[in-house]
Amino acid sequence: MPNLIEQALEAALVDRFYIGQILVRKTNGGGFVISHRDDQGRGDLKLFQSAEDAIDLTKFDDSGNYRPLKTAPNLQHGWRLQLAILDDLRRSLDYFYPGRLAIFVSWKSSQLQITPLRETLDRQSGMYRIAAKISDKQVNRVVGDFCRSDGGCLRTVLWKRDSRGTVASTRLPPEKFDPAFDQTLTPGSPPPATTPRLIPLLCQEPCNLLVAECRNVVKDETER
Amino acid sequence: MTIDRANSALLIVAHGSTVNPDSSAPTLAHAAEIWRRKVFAEVACAFWKEEPSLRDALCLFDPKPIREVYVVPNFISEGYFTQTVIPRELELNGRITKRSSGQIWKYCEPVGNHSMMTELLLKRACEVAQDVSPAQTTLLIVAHGTDLNENSAVAAKREAENIRALAKYGDVLNVYMEEPPLVSDWKKLTKTPNVVVVPFFISDGLHSYEDIPVLLGIASERPVSNCRAERGEIFRHNPHRINGRSLFYAPSIGTDEGYRASSQI
Ligand code: SF4
Repeated sequence: MPNLIEQALEAALVDRFYIGQILVRKTNGGGFVISHRDDQGRGDLKLFQSAEDAIDLTKFDDSGNYRPLKTAPNLQHGWRLQLAILDDLRRSLDYFYPGRLAIFVSWKSSQLQITPLRETLDRQSGMYRIAAKISDKQVNRVVGDFCRSDGGCLRTVLWKRDSRGTVASTRLPPEKFDPAFDQTLTPGSPPPATTPRLIPLLCQEPCNLLVAECRNVVKDETER
Repeated sequence: MTIDRANSALLIVAHGSTVNPDSSAPTLAHAAEIWRRKVFAEVACAFWKEEPSLRDALCLFDPKPIREVYVVPNFISEGYFTQTVIPRELELNGRITKRSSGQIWKYCEPVGNHSMMTELLLKRACEVAQDVSPAQTTLLIVAHGTDLNENSAVAAKREAENIRALAKYGDVLNVYMEEPPLVSDWKKLTKTPNVVVVPFFISDGLHSYEDIPVLLGIASERPVSNCRAERGEIFRHNPHRINGRSLFYAPSIGTDEGYRASSQI
């Protein structure tokens, strides 16, 4: 996948692009600089120069809390990562948003397998088996809360609720399902005058955190 | 096993955690080191509780250049995850799975099964207590015990037996957190002036930072902060002097630098 990913990055890198909360810029010397999108124009950023520095930069939010979901909109601020070659850029983005570039490339080439929530839940075993008992009404609420871009997760949801194609949650705006929409923006608000290209963070199958949340809802219900 | 370097990838699969920031660290470190050694054309990780997920891993390797994917579970023993969760999520149907693209996925044994484990335990014990005579020392290998998900208790027992057979240490015992022989009974179970304790886990976390130190009596029940330096503090106060004896406490075996997933295949 590295070659295909690097091709996709090069295509996006006419000048600069956004991925999640990150801004990637090409430097005149042929290298790359990445930083938090909110930190543009700040002169007091701490400099890092290794792709592996991204491992620690993604681990905690601004308050020092562990980030179990890397696509949550709580990436820490205050850093600037300078990288020399495209392979470093690819590796570092894979630490910031693990697996998302490969998923994007698969999606672009129409190879991506998309799995409905019910299928994921029905496949679970052990302590998660019970999660499949969640009702449609509860799914609508849990997904609406858990996956929402403001405060939940910045991925674009590609999966449906079930094999009949029911929308994942009617509580989410239509933009949540649109890979062309920048999930850091508020749906309906006027788009900024100029925006760099965008590599969307795609969600092709409900994550384990959402499965765990479904399980909690069912457990709370049965214990009540 | 010969690996066709140019066309093969390594996928290291680990548990990961939604609460412990250090859970994935050894797995990421192994992947970075194996990548640096250029044993495989590509090296990736996948986690049950972190990203990329096991499901994401299905898309990580382009079938054109990558003809074979070696899947290595970074687990201390066989168990529920290696036997049920990983095969199901990665759609593996046995040791060898051929995808519709023609890509072959080879499912390897968990790293904890490797014969090098015994050597690593000895190395770690030796490093943590450098100036003591092994003959005057008891080595305790601590596993969880009643964890229904893993057979780590059996694996810890096997390792203790292997090391005991070398007759190097005064004594070697497998002990558990939640079932006899209990790690909290170490003062009764051991007779030697020195005791070395090695947690039999893949990564450092709640068990090695807090639970085992409390059971050993070398830490209070005050929870350790999330700051990395503080979390590793417990390993920096060796030896702990208790009742005239010296107790040496090591980090989890899976964090050892010599513990490289590549050695499994
Ligand atoms: S299911 Fe997808 S969109 Fe929802 S929280 Fe998980 S990763 Fe984000």
